[in-house]
Amino acid sequence: MRLAFWLYEGTALHGISRVTNSMKGVHTVYHAPQGDDYITATYSMLERTPDFPGLSISVVRGRDLAQGVSRLPGTLQQVDHHYHPDLTVIAPSCSTALLQEDLHQLTAHSGLPPEKTLVYALNPFRVSENEAADGLLTELVKRYAVPQEKTAQPSVNLLGFTSLGFHLRANLTSLRRMLQTLGITVNVVAPWGAGIEDLKKLPAAWLNIAPYREIGLTAAEYLAETFAMPAIYKAPIGVEPTLAWLRSVIEQLNITGAERGVPPLTLPKLSAFSLDGLSAPSGVPWFARTADMESFSNKRAFVFGDATHTVAIVKFLRDELGMKIIGAGTYMERHAEWVRKELEGYLPGPLVVTDRFQDVAKIIDDEMPDLVCGTQMERHSCRKLDVPCMVICPPTHIENHLLGYYPFFGFDGSDVIADRVYLSCKLGLEKHLIDFFGDAGLEYEENGASLSPEVEPVSANGHVSSGVDVDVEQEALADDGEMKWTDDAETMLKKVPFFVRKKVRKNTDTFARSIGESIVTVDVFRKAKESLGG
Amino acid sequence: MMQVSGDVQIIKEDNVTHSFCGLACVGWMYQKIKDSFFLILGTHTCAHFLQNALGMMIFAKPRFGIALMEEGDLSKNEPTLEEIIREIKADHNPSVIFLLSSCTPEVMKVDFKGLAHHLSTADVPVLFVPASGLVYNFTQAEDSVLHALVPFCPVAPAGQKSVVFLGSVNDATADDLRAEAEELGIHVAGFLPESRFDKMPAIGPDTVLAPIQPYLSRVAVKLERERGARVLHSLFPFGPDGSRVFWEDLAREFGITVDLRDREKAAWEKIRTQTALLKGKKVFLTADTMMELPLARFLKSAGADVVECSSAYINKKFHARELEALQGVRVVEQPNFHRQLEDVTRIQPDLIVTSLMTANPFAGHGFVVKWSMEFMLMPIHSWSGVIPLANLFVSPLHRRSNLPAFDKEVWLEGVMPSAE
Repeated sequence: MRLAFWLYEGTALHGISRVTNSMKGVHTVYHAPQGDDYITATYSMLERTPDFPGLSISVVRGRDLAQGVSRLPGTLQQVDHHYHPDLTVIAPSCSTALLQEDLHQLTAHSGLPPEKTLVYALNPFRVSENEAADGLLTELVKRYAVPQEKTAQPSVNLLGFTSLGFHLRANLTSLRRMLQTLGITVNVVAPWGAGIEDLKKLPAAWLNIAPYREIGLTAAEYLAETFAMPAIYKAPIGVEPTLAWLRSVIEQLNITGAERGVPPLTLPKLSAFSLDGLSAPSGVPWFARTADMESFSNKRAFVFGDATHTVAIVKFLRDELGMKIIGAGTYMERHAEWVRKELEGYLPGPLVVTDRFQDVAKIIDDEMPDLVCGTQMERHSCRKLDVPCMVICPPTHIENHLLGYYPFFGFDGSDVIADRVYLSCKLGLEKHLIDFFGDAGLEYEENGASLSPEVEPVSANGHVSSGVDVDVEQEALADDGEMKWTDDAETMLKKVPFFVRKKVRKNTDTFARSIGESIVTVDVFRKAKESLGG
Repeated sequence: MMQVSGDVQIIKEDNVTHSFCGLACVGWMYQKIKDSFFLILGTHTCAHFLQNALGMMIFAKPRFGIALMEEGDLSKNEPTLEEIIREIKADHNPSVIFLLSSCTPEVMKVDFKGLAHHLSTADVPVLFVPASGLVYNFTQAEDSVLHALVPFCPVAPAGQKSVVFLGSVNDATADDLRAEAEELGIHVAGFLPESRFDKMPAIGPDTVLAPIQPYLSRVAVKLERERGARVLHSLFPFGPDGSRVFWEDLAREFGITVDLRDREKAAWEKIRTQTALLKGKKVFLTADTMMELPLARFLKSAGADVVECSSAYINKKFHARELEALQGVRVVEQPNFHRQLEDVTRIQPDLIVTSLMTANPFAGHGFVVKWSMEFMLMPIHSWSGVIPLANLFVSPLHRRSNLPAFDKEVWLEGVMPSAE
């Protein structure tokens, strides 16, 4: 038992739903209490799904438990009747897993044919989000992939692209653009947008591309073993890794091509990969050599995240931007060994492996890096310390789900990452945000002061206290000879959020004048609120 | 006293619905009671819920946390929370710790009462709050929190008759309600809850409890039973209609006769443009926050055609007046979402008031939606809340009509490949 405020990975149920919500014709039924339905909101809100995520809850209530009633068979029938899924995945929540019910039997009671259901009952106390997602994807691939003819022309599957994945769409676009430039067809993307029929035809591709260590890797390994399909597991993040990735894609496809008598692919002039087809595909190599980037040689960076991004970003910062790496870590304990091996020679000390954000926050506090690349949590920890931070991987926040094209993969991605590093370090974008939306600043002012006194000078120099800003505003107004306010009315005004306080004061002044009052009393203020709508 | 009608038709379904569990109340309760700490005995799921759905990570040092049950804890007879309580006290120095139950320990039959009792000290009581999703929806756990606070409300001796408002509202709204009551000549003893643990109101036989949120029936009954307090059975103070009836009924409890019809009329007048837009509009409430009954009643009074008002739980006694005012409206308890989806498709409502899980998908299907949760975060109480309340309903209608035409074949392409 420990006190937790916040966790990096989601639950097994979340991992399962990430896969099924990605897929066409697949529905998940949670055998769970009402609260587990929050998962649906992560899709409808973060991905702004314009249709209902394929997720239904078969509610388990205290009374049902007491009476030995299970609604699962009925819910499965309802789901089948209303949505006609090709497959329904049934999963327990942490609480119902303890009940040790036979979900297979309950599922059978629904009368649905066995080929339309899949009970995926993991131990939610042992398995987390990524392992569950990776496991379910593999399970589905095993269930559906069948031996078949290869496509006539070079083709690849893109595996591991999953709902709520980090910069998912943009990464996919970036890969598609590069593959298109090489003349390679995408056979199947899975699970994102794939249906059961797509999973069946996975073995038709010449090559699997599974760039994420967390999800898709196991499925690619299974396909390699069972269907002798080659796979590329490296993530094309950074200019040099992208070049290496392109070369190995070509090399692998040409092996199959040679067997099949298809003419070999070649790497075109690199400008073919640029957005306009006329320029260098990335600005990073030149940018790193420019004079104003010289100062980055002394910038100390700390990286913390999942396995895939931690490895890629450490390498990018050191190898391509010439920054100093003062440390790195991951919350993906399962993949820590791989990360350690990949980053051999990159880190001055041991790899940090923890799922407690407080440990990471302490390192940042002790080291005060010039740049932190982390998750939303590190961004949050850094904000308190006024340390520049950019988000490089999940867990994310709504602001990491943007509309624009901001891939991390490929040449395009290299430019995006370099831009973010530059903006984060140089301008301290966070500081501006805090100054602007001062509420957060106020919170930190108070807590920061009591928490860690040694940080005070930084705060004092850093974000100009928003509290001060507000006071200045108020004084300025009073000096302008505006309406007089009684102390009580002032106190009442203070209860209005400060960012609209100025507007409320102005409107109240106008209202008071309109009804012939010369002083704003509590009574006048209340009347104004009533009349103007709060 | 108005006659309470006993024959309001409530259709009861099977609760296959979209909503949050009782732990959601932590989101506003910890901010309301400023010297508190909310400790949830729960699992990874509870933590993931709070940080994702409620987006609560934005606060520096939250006064809530999860005593995280991991696999090793499942085999233990009783959870040992001493260490965690010590940590909380050292870091936060709270005046009170609320210990919230969740589904997993509930299934394990943890003796929460005994646990809370064992962890309590004279200085810092630890109060058990039943909040598990096996029993409680969304706002209902606020009822549990207030329930737990009852022993800390001093007993008011018989004598001066005064009102205690029941339900957490922000300080500005509380000030408005207090001033309004005082203006009517009603003595205000306070609010349950107040913003500090040591400031909870005195309640006794001459207290009139005025519920200002519609999901607090259990604490009302408890106070009625234990303290002999009188519970006001009126409309909830939302909208010009609800505000007039609420204040008139409350005044009557104090032997004061007021006629607020002019005020109600003036309030309707202020939202004339809004009600003109709402008139005849078909509105569908899918059930989420348990504020649905009074919201639907306001909409009906405003001239809207409420095609369905669903709510997770309906208490025939506590909600009697609202139900009576909703005569003729289809009222559903514990609705089935699949059925609602079919009805929505058939009825084609002009506005759907719905949960975070379903709002965007309904919008994607071409409907105008309003997040039900917003009604909990806006000052919509009493007279000063009339305009914000009306605006919440009309703003999505306005917005839709102000945006250019939308061809979903074009603009939704590729947005959700799984649905194509």
